[in-house]
Amino acid sequence: MPLFEGLGSGGEKTAVVIDLGAAYTKCGFAGETGPRFIIPSEIQKPGQQSIKVVQYNINTEELYSNLKEFIHTLYFRHLLVNPRDRRVVIIESILCPSHFRETLTKVFFKQFEVPSVLFAPSHLMAIMSLGINSGLVMDCGYTETLVLPVYECIPILPAWEALPLAGKAIHKELDGLLVEQCTVDSDSSTGQSLPTVIGSIPEEVVEDIKVRTCFVSDLQRGLKIQEAKFNLGGTAERPTPPPDVDYPLDGEKILHIKGPIRDSVMEMLFEQDNEEKSVASLVLDALVKCPIDTRKALSENLVIIGGTAMLPGFLHRLLAEIRLLVEKPKYRDALATKSFRLHSPPAKPNCTAWLGGAIFGALQDILGSRSVSRDYYNQTGRIPDWCCLSSPPPESVYDAGKTPPPLMKRAFSTEK
Amino acid sequence: MASLLQPDRVLYLVHGEKKIRSPLSTLYFCRYCSELRSLECVSHEVDSHYCPSCLENMPSAEAKLKKNRKRICNQLNENFRCANCFDCPCCMHTLSTRATNIPAPLPDDPSKTAMKKAYYLACGFCRWTSRDVGMADKSVASGGWQEPDNPHTQRINKLIEYYQQLAQREKLERDRKKLARRRPYMPLAFSEKYGLGTRLQRQRPGAPITSLAGLSLKEGEDQKEINIEPAQALDEVEPLPEDCYTRPINLPEVTSLRQRLLQPDFQPAGASQLHPKHKHLLIKRSLRCRKCEHNLSKPEFNPTSIKFKIQLVAVSYIPEVRIMSIPNLRFQKECQVLLTLTNPVENITHVTLVGCEEGDPEDINSTAKVMVPTKELVLAGKDAAAEYDELAEPQDFQDDPDVVAFRKSNKIGFFIKVVPQREEDGDVTVSFKIRHDFRNLAAPIRPSEEGDAPAEAIWLTHHVELSLGPIIA
Repeated sequence: MPLFEGLGSGGEKTAVVIDLGAAYTKCGFAGETGPRFIIPSEIQKPGQQSIKVVQYNINTEELYSNLKEFIHTLYFRHLLVNPRDRRVVIIESILCPSHFRETLTKVFFKQFEVPSVLFAPSHLMAIMSLGINSGLVMDCGYTETLVLPVYECIPILPAWEALPLAGKAIHKELDGLLVEQCTVDSDSSTGQSLPTVIGSIPEEVVEDIKVRTCFVSDLQRGLKIQEAKFNLGGTAERPTPPPDVDYPLDGEKILHIKGPIRDSVMEMLFEQDNEEKSVASLVLDALVKCPIDTRKALSENLVIIGGTAMLPGFLHRLLAEIRLLVEKPKYRDALATKSFRLHSPPAKPNCTAWLGGAIFGALQDILGSRSVSRDYYNQTGRIPDWCCLSSPPPESVYDAGKTPPPLMKRAFSTEK
Repeated sequence: MASLLQPDRVLYLVHGEKKIRSPLSTLYFCRYCSELRSLECVSHEVDSHYCPSCLENMPSAEAKLKKNRKRICNQLNENFRCANCFDCPCCMHTLSTRATNIPAPLPDDPSKTAMKKAYYLACGFCRWTSRDVGMADKSVASGGWQEPDNPHTQRINKLIEYYQQLAQREKLERDRKKLARRRPYMPLAFSEKYGLGTRLQRQRPGAPITSLAGLSLKEGEDQKEINIEPAQALDEVEPLPEDCYTRPINLPEVTSLRQRLLQPDFQPAGASQLHPKHKHLLIKRSLRCRKCEHNLSKPEFNPTSIKFKIQLVAVSYIPEVRIMSIPNLRFQKECQVLLTLTNPVENITHVTLVGCEEGDPEDINSTAKVMVPTKELVLAGKDAAAEYDELAEPQDFQDDPDVVAFRKSNKIGFFIKVVPQREEDGDVTVSFKIRHDFRNLAAPIRPSEEGDAPAEAIWLTHHVELSLGPIIA
């Protein structure tokens, strides 16, 4: 990056781009090629366990103070800049509850006095990082997997699909399997079952085990594993499991992770439950909901983002599953397009949405006009939301001389 | 007994957007507003950056522009990382540079070899070295280590350029539209020439951004076009290697999630690709009152100095109440508690204590009735030389022995009577108001007056809460 970029070029300072995810937060500056920091979305209170920042069910006061503390560490420990000088771009999921959004805005404007805030949808930003106009974006994160098609830069909102099959569910399943099947060696004893030695494994440890030892098998092998689990055929035999792993815990104990766990825990993403939904079927369901003319462009431009998509073997398996499912009777007649292509964005899947936001944040000409400024927020006291009808349209939409703005403005707006 | 001196025993109330109760040692005092401020009602600012291991000060951006650019170039770091220090990618400890002697051929005479120094980085904690990732030893002690570049940088820069062109176009259109609107008599036909359709007008702040949809490059534009190749999607994805299913894992070779996330651009899965990163800087922060925009705390520039240029802390302006001794507290029985009051300023301070009235909105926590001394207490000024001066004259204050227990330079001990009203578990809490005079030395000097008019005293009132401990039945 040029040394003095952003300093004396006559423009304003580079904006701050924050992607506040449920598990990890990616933060950095606009115009850069990657986030500066990826930190867990948690705050540490002295002497207590860390508290997750992104929680939708707690009351406003607690959420406000958690967010305030978190954003404070973000600015003064990681980004090291003054909040008052730089605009903020926040990458959010479109399913983010309004209450959370409003509290976050309040923290930014009231506590940190930033000049302006822009909420950018993560799926749209992923498209922007590729230089294409349409694509079907799937975000496999921590709480849920969310699919949203984008056509000609406009999100097709009615076609959204989501499932809670993501990082959190994987951790729970893995934790259950470990407790059930694995043994722990400590210095005094060997071969003890897990619950007797340690109470429960902390989630960070489960996450680390997932990242280092587990993988997603390819289609043939995965189907055989599923068959063996449900034993539909009666004689199904499981393919040879990968070798066991000895995982050190706490520096004193060793956890013996059984081989079969390593490849079977990820099958839960692709097992179709009673409703026949899996991560792969989400893509096809979303396609079915889209207008017919758009389907070909969308199916040939699949974009997968999110941390869970970085599991080894995930992309290959996903593509194979989609191709398998599209032959099933449910989709065969509904979808004419059978070709599926996958993009590889110029960043890791967990940073792609951040990168799109950074590219957008670098466009200083229009960033200001598209953001919510502090003055606007102080005047109206709220932030516009796509799902909220009470935001009055601005005057610029209507040419002078035409009919006055429609009734909606007068009915809901508190302005004169 | 030392537990009586714990800071959270005595809380002062701060009036801000929210009412905050916290110990005096954590509060600031704005002399211009004459009010207490807590950390939550001041704005924090970044004052200066420094490296925690080499303690080198990194000048702020504006300072860099003023000084000679060439000289500072080496330390310039818009990315807030130290140029000299590195972090171990395995354990995040600071790396140290070690030297070895290796035989190397002399430049003049290739046949003879001489010992040359070669430097490598090593971690003293986890024994990681730069040779583990294949980084060659360098011949200079510092400045030779480079971080690898992100391979996608070029593509991303091209994307940014392309979108900037579209953004410029949108801005031009918007500006033209503004001008066009100011002339309402312009015929409707002309507006077609300027507008690119109604899609452009959807610029509601904060609405789901439709991105730059209407602005794809049109033919006939004579500006230099930066065309971007849209990304190509692939039909096939690389599958997992076959030996993944059968090969036993060497766990120390696989990076943990935390190690991967320290390098967001690469996030390598193998430990042999973990490159060290430059050390991240820390900041010194300054605090500013939100109402009057004066600085409340400004540290020194030099990282090795712990002093402050401006330090308006509350303990140096407001008399501090501390608990000295508590007798056994009994339900509904009057007990006498000994408190001390310390005067931080150099002039004599007069303090009056007032109990809280019934229905006082600030008095929400007290569980006991309190009788405070009604007379005004006088505190002597703080005299720094007093402890060395043995011939000091004894202070001549007439103290009522029922009220004042002892007096020692700028501190007095006094009694209050407490009657616990609630027989429950938990601490007995009392609150009262303390009113003292404050001479504001920060007042602007009046140019008309000659001579030494003493600063006027204003009376400040603070609400204090004491936590006296549990009732002993």
